Amino acid sequence: MTRLSDGLSTLEYHVLLALASGPLYGYAVKDAVEAESSGSLTPRAASLYRVFARLLTQDLVREVEPSEAVPPHPGRERKYYALTERGRVALADEARRFKEAAALAERRLGVVRRPT
Amino acid sequence: MTRFLVLLLRLFPPGFRRRFGAEVADQIRRDHARVSEKGVLARWGFALATGVDLIRSALAERMDPTWEDTEEEEGWEMGGWVEGVVRDLGHAVRSLRRSPGFTAVSVATLGVAIGANVGIFNVVDAVLLRPLPFPEADRLVYLGATAPGSDMPDEFRLGTEFTFAFAEQSELLEGVGTYNTFTNTLHVGDRVERVLMSFPSLSVLEFLDVAPLLGRLPVAEDDGGTVVISHRLWTTWFNGDPGVLGQSVYVGGGTRTVVGVMPPDFWFPNDQVLLWGATNPRRADITPGRFNVLQVARVKPGVDAEALAAELTRIARRVPQEVAGSPAYATLVGQLRTVVRPLEDQIVGPVSKALWVLLGSVAVVLVIACANVANLFLVRGERRQRDLAVRRALGAGRAQLLRAQLAEAVVISLAAGGLAILIATAGTPLLLRMAPPVPRMGEIGLSTSTLMFTLVACVFCVVVCGVVPALRAAAPRLSALRDGGRGASSRRTWVRDGLVAGQTALALVLLIGSGLLMRSFQALRNVDPGYDTRDVLTFQIAPEEEGMEDGPSYARFHLAFMERLQALPGVESVGVVENVPLNEGTASGRFLPEAEGGDLEDAALLNVTFTGGDYFRTMGIPLIRGRLFTDEDQLSGNGNILLSESAARLLWGDDDPVGRRLRFLSADLLFTVVGVVGDVLQDDFRGSPQPLVYNPLAGPPRTWTISSPAYVIKARHPEMQVPVIRELVREIAPSAPMYRVYTMEGLAADSMQQLSFTTLTLGLASVLAMLLGALGLYGVLSYTVAARAKEIGVRMALGARAGQVQRLVVGQGTRVVAVGIVVGLVGALAVTRVLGTLLFDVGPVDPIIFTGMSAGMIGVGALASWLPARRASGVDPVRSLGGDG
Repeated sequence: MTRLSDGLSTLEYHVLLALASGPLYGYAVKDAVEAESSGSLTPRAASLYRVFARLLTQDLVREVEPSEAVPPHPGRERKYYALTERGRVALADEARRFKEAAALAERRLGVVRRPT
Repeated sequence: MTRFLVLLLRLFPPGFRRRFGAEVADQIRRDHARVSEKGVLARWGFALATGVDLIRSALAERMDPTWEDTEEEEGWEMGGWVEGVVRDLGHAVRSLRRSPGFTAVSVATLGVAIGANVGIFNVVDAVLLRPLPFPEADRLVYLGATAPGSDMPDEFRLGTEFTFAFAEQSELLEGVGTYNTFTNTLHVGDRVERVLMSFPSLSVLEFLDVAPLLGRLPVAEDDGGTVVISHRLWTTWFNGDPGVLGQSVYVGGGTRTVVGVMPPDFWFPNDQVLLWGATNPRRADITPGRFNVLQVARVKPGVDAEALAAELTRIARRVPQEVAGSPAYATLVGQLRTVVRPLEDQIVGPVSKALWVLLGSVAVVLVIACANVANLFLVRGERRQRDLAVRRALGAGRAQLLRAQLAEAVVISLAAGGLAILIATAGTPLLLRMAPPVPRMGEIGLSTSTLMFTLVACVFCVVVCGVVPALRAAAPRLSALRDGGRGASSRRTWVRDGLVAGQTALALVLLIGSGLLMRSFQALRNVDPGYDTRDVLTFQIAPEEEGMEDGPSYARFHLAFMERLQALPGVESVGVVENVPLNEGTASGRFLPEAEGGDLEDAALLNVTFTGGDYFRTMGIPLIRGRLFTDEDQLSGNGNILLSESAARLLWGDDDPVGRRLRFLSADLLFTVVGVVGDVLQDDFRGSPQPLVYNPLAGPPRTWTISSPAYVIKARHPEMQVPVIRELVREIAPSAPMYRVYTMEGLAADSMQQLSFTTLTLGLASVLAMLLGALGLYGVLSYTVAARAKEIGVRMALGARAGQVQRLVVGQGTRVVAVGIVVGLVGALAVTRVLGTLLFDVGPVDPIIFTGMSAGMIGVGALASWLPARRASGVDPVRSLGGDG
């Protein structure tokens, strides 16, 4: 069951986007999503981890040992997540779709642009 | 707060929780720590949003197949249990969604059946179960009397002399007093209406122990000049104005001051009473031997009703020694026994039996509906034998399978319960519109006890529908795996057959019950009451005009009024009577034939009324001997009377009573009989005619003073005359409102309403039961036919004809129905006795109804069997043997 053909949900996209810069633990992902969506997304705990569950089963994200992660966070032991190869592709596909959509919009807007 | 939120994690499937639980909890704590800085409001908003998110996500994950077979971890005490239930319910919902047909039929069947129960329970709860609106209402009792062996009715009221004796001598009573209800004219400003009021004795108002909402209760010092009004009267007549206190109102011939307003939920002795005064009976005013007051008492805590009845009977029997009374009075009191009954029973009266019968019958419908759904579950279980056997083989525990199966019944029952509440909410107003006037009707509505009842009904459904199928599903035959999961387990069809037989039996009991009621209803409609109810209108006015101070002036007023009525276009004849049949009862008195020489012990108890105008012709009551009243009789009050046939027979047997004289003991008057008229049924169509004495309008003295007589008018379409008559009343007696306006046909229908309503509802319940029973039979046989298709195919291939195959299936169905009918007949014999007093002119064991209904049931059973049988005979041997069956 892959939902790639249907595209990613906004939250899924932002989680992948957050992990694109490198492995992160859960709460860091949450902070990143909040920041990168300019505050439009404030994922609640249960919803966020449902997304993790989906992304893990679809093999877009995998769990990594904290030793792989940079930098190790002081304090309690945390689970770190990283993009898989499939995840990278899916994120790129989604980004390309955004780009195409943006280009289409620009082309259309170009028609109505004023000559001045 | 976070602890509670973290607890909600238990709702997630265990797999999810194991993998992500710690992280989710961690985020919740961190989020909470952050949001806490922003204040209480933000914290609560966070808790709410997070809680909703948790529950929504948990349910969504429960639906997700990823976590389906994850094992339960041990060691959660409370949590593991909740968890298991939630998981089982989640499974059940998923599984039921996959068979929408089964789910819809089960929920609808149970929903309708529970709905009917909830609807009737609503009424039973308000009318019978909820305590009366007085503190410690269970200590309030009604006091009456019975005197077996005397000529008094089976039960009658006591006299005021007993009230005094009880009040002074009883050690078991806290208080005792008299009460009454009557209709009288209430005059406030321009508004004049006849309203129901009650004037209990002061002691009653005291021990009812209800404080007024405003003002105070009447007290002895008021000397009867004060009243308290009901909350309803206060809001409708006085706009809820607190200034009502101290205001004067004109009540029943005198001005009285309003001193209090009662709380909205107070009523006494019924919920139609709008106004209360108080009486303060005095010993000096007592005339012994008037058995005409209603008595109510408050019993000391912990007193047994029987002990109280014994004590009051002892006290009552000493009363003749204390008051002067005739020897006949002493003899009667010597036979008297005091009747003690909870006040509630006295107020609710005969309705309670009909209501319990109705609740019983809808409960039976519910049992039948449960049997149907149980059967559906069994069939569903058969189909899933293979699936269950696989699960068992893979190590699923018995308890686990049982719980999973039971969960489906729980989901179905809860959904049905919800549907039932909708049905009951929508249906109760309809029910009440059809129902006869029930005491405490205003209190009927959905309440906490209704919800509890619904819940109990749901649990009942779960037990009946779920347990047997669940037990069977929990022990699947592993052989289901070996033989490919096909074929019916014939050794287990007896459970389903038993259910169908049980349904048949119950449906038959209901059918017989409703058949008996229908015959009673028909018999009652065919009763000849002694008068013709067609095209007759009746109404009352209570004129208080000047100049009506004696019999003749009273008679003149009414004769003149009747002349005006007679002149109205379309009016055929007009008469007047003190108490019109089916609406009011008559008073009674003791009479002695003159020739008897005056042995008071032989005085006959006769009912007394007075009449004028063309009463007998208007009502179609025949003159049997002698003559009717002349104008001279009517105007002068010369002591001439008419007797009803049964009164004449009671006094003189078959001898001609015309010209004989009769002494009226209560007033010491001598009457002359001038004629005999036909008997009438006064109170309802059930009783036998009471012996009746008719006085003319003008006399005897004092009878006319207290009364507001009823007019009867014969006219085509009598109800069309009402506006014209109202106009005429306004002209002739402006201060006398016209009330108790009915057609005699309407009164006749009302008098049968309790029976007709019970008959209708029980009829509906029994038809529903029969349909459900037939449906159950049809379902079982259809399933058997489908399961035996292979066997039938073999038979047909070997040369069996269609007819033989049909007989085979119909035979199976008929056997089951026959067993059900035998059981049902036995049940009906035991149960129809409870209908008792509801029945009329038909015994509880009526052979015609018993055989007729059994035959009908066999017919329905045969039809329900024949449809699957026809399908069986259409089995194509090649298909059923060649295919997979």
